Amino acid sequence: MSRYLLLILLNIPFIMLSIIGAITQYKLKRLTKKRFIIQIFIWILVLVGLISVESIYTWLFTHNLTQTEPLSLFDVIQITAIVVVYYVANRSHTKIEMLERRVQDLHQELSIELSTKGKK
Amino acid sequence: MKSKTPLRVCVVMPAYNEASVIGDVILDVTKIFKNSPFSVEIVVVNDASKDNTAIIAKKHGATVINHILNSGAGGATATGLSYAQQNGFDIAATMDSDGQHSAEDVLNGINEIIKQKNDLLIGSRLIESKGMSKTKILGNKGLSFITYLLFGINSTDSQSGLRIYSRTALEQLRWKTSGYEFCSEMLWRAKQLGLQVGEYPIKTIYTDYSKSKGQNNWNAVNIVKNLLKQRIRELLG
Repeated sequence: MSRYLLLILLNIPFIMLSIIGAITQYKLKRLTKKRFIIQIFIWILVLVGLISVESIYTWLFTHNLTQTEPLSLFDVIQITAIVVVYYVANRSHTKIEMLERRVQDLHQELSIELSTKGKK
Repeated sequence: MKSKTPLRVCVVMPAYNEASVIGDVILDVTKIFKNSPFSVEIVVVNDASKDNTAIIAKKHGATVINHILNSGAGGATATGLSYAQQNGFDIAATMDSDGQHSAEDVLNGINEIIKQKNDLLIGSRLIESKGMSKTKILGNKGLSFITYLLFGINSTDSQSGLRIYSRTALEQLRWKTSGYEFCSEMLWRAKQLGLQVGEYPIKTIYTDYSKSKGQNNWNAVNIVKNLLKQRIRELLG
């Protein structure tokens, strides 16, 4: 199997998961329109980048703009690792932001509730 | 003849370790509002103080909301205003609990917001900056300029803690930051919501205590950093 194809196959699940996740979050109104567009744009850019790795490399090589070796198996693993790390970081960031907002609201409501009870 | 129900006003004081002055501040507000046509409730949001702020505030007749965790000035103000909104107050005012604001200015602000029909009225210390040190003037003007650069808001005193809120503002205004940067963010949110924002001059009472409690210019660096972060976050959705 071509290494370029392997690179796409390894990364496609994460990209698809991210795109589906962004659409779901947007439809559930947990994501603003702006953020949704940015998320989709980034993941489509990653997808297009991975699909065109071979043609970009060939173009650069034939125009004498790079002297590097073609994609190695180690490169495939490294690029996949970067995509996975970005996927995890993005998910964690969204979750932390949501949790932060919920804790703030909870703290506020709890303080008011307790003070009202204390008054009675 | 039917008597008109007085407007209900909530005076919110976010407080952190203010035990030595909070009692006097509450007494001042109570005294000033006694002869006013408003029905007033003083709410002290005790932001997890380590001293007796809550006990003293309660003793002087204020409603005390105790924060379990220290949330910063922005968080404490949000809690106080949320209380005012939930309890159906017509107007709310926020003022510092360190005694730097005069209770008279709070009452003037309430009369002013009714007269001007604004949604948010900022008590500006810099329209007549008497008694304020040059460093403080520079710091406050600098922050107002940065607020203008980041959010396009023209305010002579974007960091003032004395603010008056209409019912509309109470229902709509929300912000995300919890430190002192909420002052600028609040103006930005008001602009986004299309609320009418005005200013009126206030005096500042500088005692050794209030000088030691106020923000220093190094804190301004932190405020700018957090405002920038908030602006970038908003740009990215």
